[in-house]
Amino acid sequence: MEKMKLMVVDDEERFLSTTKKLLERRGYDVVTAPSGAEALEKIRGQNIHVVILDVKMPGMDGNATLKEIKRQFPLVEVIMLTGHATMESAIDGLKSGAIDYLMKPADIDEIILKAEEAFEKRQSLEEKIRVAQMRKLMKSPREIIEET
Amino acid sequence: MKPNHFSTIRRILFACMILVPLIPFILALGIGYYHFATSLENSTVASMKRIVGDHRHMIESFLGERKHDLEFILNSYRFEDLRRSETLDTVFDHLQRGSQAFVDLGVFNEAGVHVAYHGPYRLVGKVYKDATWFREVMEHNYYISDIFLGYRQVPHFVIAVTKAEAGKKWVVRASIDTATFNNIVESIRIGKTGEAYILNVNGLLQTKPRSGGKLMEKYPDKIKYPSSHTGVETFMDKDVKGVKYLYTTTWLQNKKWLLVVRQERADAFKALTSAVYMIILVLVIGGAAILSVAFYLTNHIVGRMEKMDTEKDRLNQQLIGASRLAELGEMSAGFAHEINNPLQIIKSEQSLIEMILADMKEKDQLKESASLTELEDSMDQIKLQISRCANITQAILKFGRQDEPKPQNIDLRAFIPEVTGMVAQKAVVHGISIEQDIAENTYPIHGDPTQLQQVLVNLYNNAMDAILEHHGTSGGKLIVSAGPKEKNTVEIVIKDNGGGISPENLNKIFSPFFSTKSVGKGTGLGLSICYGIIDSMRGTMEVGSEEGVGTTFTLRLPAMV
Repeated sequence: MEKMKLMVVDDEERFLSTTKKLLERRGYDVVTAPSGAEALEKIRGQNIHVVILDVKMPGMDGNATLKEIKRQFPLVEVIMLTGHATMESAIDGLKSGAIDYLMKPADIDEIILKAEEAFEKRQSLEEKIRVAQMRKLMKSPREIIEET
Repeated sequence: MKPNHFSTIRRILFACMILVPLIPFILALGIGYYHFATSLENSTVASMKRIVGDHRHMIESFLGERKHDLEFILNSYRFEDLRRSETLDTVFDHLQRGSQAFVDLGVFNEAGVHVAYHGPYRLVGKVYKDATWFREVMEHNYYISDIFLGYRQVPHFVIAVTKAEAGKKWVVRASIDTATFNNIVESIRIGKTGEAYILNVNGLLQTKPRSGGKLMEKYPDKIKYPSSHTGVETFMDKDVKGVKYLYTTTWLQNKKWLLVVRQERADAFKALTSAVYMIILVLVIGGAAILSVAFYLTNHIVGRMEKMDTEKDRLNQQLIGASRLAELGEMSAGFAHEINNPLQIIKSEQSLIEMILADMKEKDQLKESASLTELEDSMDQIKLQISRCANITQAILKFGRQDEPKPQNIDLRAFIPEVTGMVAQKAVVHGISIEQDIAENTYPIHGDPTQLQQVLVNLYNNAMDAILEHHGTSGGKLIVSAGPKEKNTVEIVIKDNGGGISPENLNKIFSPFFSTKSVGKGTGLGLSICYGIIDSMRGTMEVGSEEGVGTTFTLRLPAMV
């Protein structure tokens, strides 16, 4: 079983470091990024499964980052972390492809729970892709024979 | 506006409303009265003057005729003929046939000796040489006496004329019955009190006035004499009894006698008196009408102004309240958002500490001790307080959030029972009976059902909390009623029999962060949010409460008609 690789994106440095410590203690592989741009860069370099993304950030904000992530890496699952209770930002996020949302202050267990759910979905998606690819490969020789 | 301002307006308005119609009203009546009085006086005086003139003419011609009668005798007979009593008798007969006024007839010679007489008395032989009438007639050839008693002790007057015959003057004298003469004068009657009489130059009565008084007596009233022979004098004066009379006087017989016609002023101007009564009546009724209309209108107008003013004040208050709530909402939303970020960090740090502690305990790096237990308890407390803070910020954010409402038509007849159903279980558990009274003709309203549900649930929960606190788990009652109201509004009333709200708290009940619940149990935002929602639906929300009896919330919402 593949180990979940998490990324936390938030402009609060201390939140990043503490959350990283907490998650690592729980045995997760964690990458952090203080901004949307940096997050995109890091995703490109590593195989990130789930991103916890703060909605309100200076520069590129959460929703913009989300769109960019989904555009470039459609398989990466994103959970929005909102400090605002307006459902709108959360709904916007969900519409743009986020799998779930979390309200600040979020409990670490809550974060892990949602991340696991997202990871499972990602896993099953990858599984489906794998099966589909396998079928394609299995099918191919017969087709070749028939064609000849 | 202050109340005394209104009383000033009321006074000014009232004064204007009375004065503006009253001044022309009184002016019209006054002018009418003046003209009527003047013309009435003129016509009355003119008619009295005419009557006086006519009667003067009548009396003058009566006396003139009698004088002519005597002159005719003088010219028809000689002195010697008339001395004979048979002739005199015949002449007298003729005279009386002409006029019943003649009482007797006498013939006098130059020396004033009564030489012949026809009449009821024995006067032949009497000498009148020194009598005033004789001297006058000898001098002026014609004489009419005042009324006098004479030898006969009966009131009469005489007419005497002379004639010169062969250088000697002789005289014929006739007595005129005062009764006949009286009738002529007395026949003047005007109105009820109009009368006529004749005075001589000394003011002695020559005829009997209808109102009483004896012949030959001094007339008690003051009389003004006309200046010219034929002039007519009119004046107003009081008689001895103090009654006002209108007098008209004129001279008769070359200023010998004065014809007086008088009428009580009240009688003469009777039409004026009734006109005055009429004017007073009109004045009183009209004045009362003006007064009452002015009073009614002033009250009505000022009342309307006052009502509008309080309405305006109330609206202003509401507007201020609503805008203040909106501002507060925005501010607190921003504030809550900013608090959430540090709160997130604190929470993470707390989780980390907890985790580290657990790790250390696992690795036996920490020994069980009282301090450790206290530390763990403290950790739990931090966790608890963080979640409390989180609850508060969530509530604030909810209060301040400006979600676009999604209004649709709501049929309250179905909607209210549905929402009530959501809290029914809780009510049953706490022994609260819920009564619903939704009128069948309740109009539908237009609004966001989620928001309206939030309001109702909030009010239900508040009511049930209040009931629980007051009654415990039995005897609670919650009444929900709805129905149409005037001006196309719908009223929803939620009434509980909880402990009620004190008057000072009642004023603050819609203010954000105001709560009477114990610390940590309520954020004090529920009712502010409700207020904001109902306000955004263009409705109103009111509260009434009596301590120990219960609280009633009344929502009024515009109907969809």
